[in-house]
Amino acid sequence: MKARFNGLSVVKILIYAFFGLFLLIPLLAVFLISFTNEPVNIIGSFTDPAILSSSIEKLKAINLDNYRQIFSNAGYLDSLKNSLSLALVVMVLVILICIPLAYGIARTNMPFKKTISALCTIPLIIPTFISAYAFIIMFGRAGWVTHFYELLGGDGMLINPYSMTGIVLVQVFFFFPYALWPLVAAFKISDVTLEEASLNLGAKNWFTFIFVTFPLAIPGIISSALLIFTVSFSDFGTPIVLAPKDLNLMVVEAYREISGFFNWGGAAILTVIMIIVAAFFFWLQHILTKGKNYGSVSGKPKQQKMVTNKVLTRSLSVYSFLIVLVPLLALLSVLLQSVATTWGKDLLPSGYTLKHYQTIFSTSLGNIQNSVILAIGALVLSVIIAIFVSYFVVRQNSAKMDFMTSIPLVVPGIAFGIALIQTFNVAPLQLTGTAILLIIAYTIRRLPYMVRSTMGAMRAIKQDIEEAAINLGATPLTAAITVIGPLLLPGIAAGSVLVFITVIKETSISILLAPPEWAPMSLAIFQNILRAEYYSAAAMSVILVALVLVLQGLANYIGKKQRL
Amino acid sequence: MGSVIIEKMTKQFGEFTALHDINLEIQEGEFFALLGPSGCGKTTTMRCIAGFEQPTSGKIKIGEKEVEKIPANRRNCGMVFQSYALFPHMNVFDNVAYSLNIKQLNASNPVKQLGIYARLLSKRLGRTPKDIQEKVMKILKYVELDQHADRLTSELSGGQQQRVALARALVMEPAVLLMDEPLSNLDQKLRHSMRNTIRTIQQDLGITTIFVTHDQEEAMSMADRVAVMDKGNIVQIGTPTELYSNPLTPFIADFVGTSNIIDVEIVEQINGTIKLKGDNFLLQSTNTIEKKQAKAIIRPEHIQVLPYDTDVNKEEVNVLEGIVLMSTYLGPTVRYDMKVGDQEIIVDTTYSSGISIFEEGRKVKLSIDHGRVLLI
Repeated sequence: MKARFNGLSVVKILIYAFFGLFLLIPLLAVFLISFTNEPVNIIGSFTDPAILSSSIEKLKAINLDNYRQIFSNAGYLDSLKNSLSLALVVMVLVILICIPLAYGIARTNMPFKKTISALCTIPLIIPTFISAYAFIIMFGRAGWVTHFYELLGGDGMLINPYSMTGIVLVQVFFFFPYALWPLVAAFKISDVTLEEASLNLGAKNWFTFIFVTFPLAIPGIISSALLIFTVSFSDFGTPIVLAPKDLNLMVVEAYREISGFFNWGGAAILTVIMIIVAAFFFWLQHILTKGKNYGSVSGKPKQQKMVTNKVLTRSLSVYSFLIVLVPLLALLSVLLQSVATTWGKDLLPSGYTLKHYQTIFSTSLGNIQNSVILAIGALVLSVIIAIFVSYFVVRQNSAKMDFMTSIPLVVPGIAFGIALIQTFNVAPLQLTGTAILLIIAYTIRRLPYMVRSTMGAMRAIKQDIEEAAINLGATPLTAAITVIGPLLLPGIAAGSVLVFITVIKETSISILLAPPEWAPMSLAIFQNILRAEYYSAAAMSVILVALVLVLQGLANYIGKKQRL
Repeated sequence: MGSVIIEKMTKQFGEFTALHDINLEIQEGEFFALLGPSGCGKTTTMRCIAGFEQPTSGKIKIGEKEVEKIPANRRNCGMVFQSYALFPHMNVFDNVAYSLNIKQLNASNPVKQLGIYARLLSKRLGRTPKDIQEKVMKILKYVELDQHADRLTSELSGGQQQRVALARALVMEPAVLLMDEPLSNLDQKLRHSMRNTIRTIQQDLGITTIFVTHDQEEAMSMADRVAVMDKGNIVQIGTPTELYSNPLTPFIADFVGTSNIIDVEIVEQINGTIKLKGDNFLLQSTNTIEKKQAKAIIRPEHIQVLPYDTDVNKEEVNVLEGIVLMSTYLGPTVRYDMKVGDQEIIVDTTYSSGISIFEEGRKVKLSIDHGRVLLI
């Protein structure tokens, strides 16, 4: 008993060390650099006295110049303003768009409800930089929508994708599912008894909606809105593809400072601000949803009365189709481009070919391989860490561990990438540009998903099941292999698929940290887009989306089996 | 098989002392119940015997052997958990076979162990040896579940799950059988029949059994002896009849069955009869006590209710005057809440048809044998 506890304590210390080294120290480093304006080698300070003394020198020179710069440097202040207003506009639009859609799914018998729900998952499988790129195919100067618009007598582009409007539209149409499902849940809170009570008290249907159904959904609406704000604010894929030179956005600005100008201080201060903003909104959402565990509180199944009014349900159905049509067309555009010989300013490509796929399989197979290897690496690492973390959190009530492993949720990918580069680009731990750092970065960034999944499974295993095995003669190890392991497996499998998918979709970390010889698919596509090699970018995108789809299907299959 | 001896066992959780200096001696083959309200330490005592908790101090001997240094997985105490703790990913057969497979695993070399692990994880990777199969089927037949060997445990009823848990514990031929509130998850009727099943199996196998419960009826009807626990102490150990007729403290009198507990003052003691003064009424008892202030314990069923005009002229009977506050018809019995002097008293009378129930506010006479007034 005692010996096992000691073994576990060592594992616990190792996990803390891992997070300390690869998450907390980098974040601290960025924070310090935002004051010193020069790289501070924290890890080196522990191993080399010379580095230590130079670090101390730098820390003595701490000043607030950088922070003053936010206000003096028009670029920084603009980028903060622009990023905030982007997130705000996207937030408002997404909520406005989603309310009728969510109401339709939750409370009406609108036609084609299942199809619409299924189509709403499309945006989730496409990485945002591919959606941004799809918008170029559609709305760009040579896009088919533009052509269509001109045929109808319009002049120039309907919407310029390389603009704030373009970015807003991409984010709205590809982030709305994040808000949709919480909103559907929110609209389901008000049950038939409450609404019948309202009718019984003499209210009309519309009155009931405005004063009963809708107010009950408000906490859900606010929480979804804040989620969208954070997602939009942290998104890197869309702005990096679509932001024009004169539009400053924090994520893009930070990326340029670090990879273009090697401006340590500038990148650091942008990173710190990004993290503070994202963390603030995450925290806001957290405290708003905390204690309002609406919906699932009572064990009594709630009965919903579905609205069957034909005019209402039909118009909702048409509206919903229009919303999901945009991502669907975007996906089809990429698919079409990937098999096009050339696709000029025309409604359809001039011819069809599979040569782009041939090119990819002959020249870029390495990228696919890299993606898979990196994803498997991150997967194995996160499975191992997640199992122990959930054990500590569930069985030993380790709140500290729970908190630490959720920190990555609030750190935008680009910010985390910058923090890692600034920490690991010098000896003694020079890891920048290695596959190891890339895998570690993916792991830490996606670990919260894995932990949640295994923690759920771990919670379901009651302590007495483990005790029963021991009582029947099994050693703790045997009990772990024959009882705990098999019971934990579905949770691990579901989490694994999720980690694998998100790592393959990952943009910001890949672009910042991947060395050329380890370039994953996402980086290859990104570079192709930059080089205007659209056809191979399209083909690679289709392969990426197909891979994600297959894995998603696998996850659904596992999920279904688990419920049986 | 073996006896279980606990000497001066204390268990602390941080500042909280869950067990104070517990002493217990459980005979071989005895059916022993640990009875007490929740939080009294009965489950902790059992978990210490099973090895899930280490006592802070004291000794535990199972079959003459001290077990402090033996880990839980080698104590050979079959345990039936309150929730049954059946393995949800295994069917009935595999649940019961588990301990036998583990026994085989522990006795094998590392290469063979891999094979056994593989077999435990997937049936396709190996077959359960004949001797294990036979043993499992024999015990399943014994608990009348041989027809359900291939079922998942989640597909069984509560009573069936309970029997699987019992079979799983029995198949390892444990030195002691531990049962933690095994009947609490069953409905009233099933509980009655399971009581008989468990008692019969225990007698049949002659296995030393320790049974934890908060239900005094369960403990009294099944156990050979009962230890009543309260706040980490053992308050009294005895056979069910001893506990009922001679409770050592008011707590036991109240916990084991229902009691009227009355504060009394001893007035005088003549020829083995003690005169007592309650709250505006007098009592006599043939029991003895050495104190000035005492508590009189009277069981509700030991009081007779008579019409007010009855003349009772028997020796050694207390006759009191009372007023009916409330009467509750419970089927075979009628329960009266009475006021005697300034004291409220509960009386249970058997009900048979034709006898009228005294209505509220009615004046009545109560008679209690002198011998039925216990003094603590």
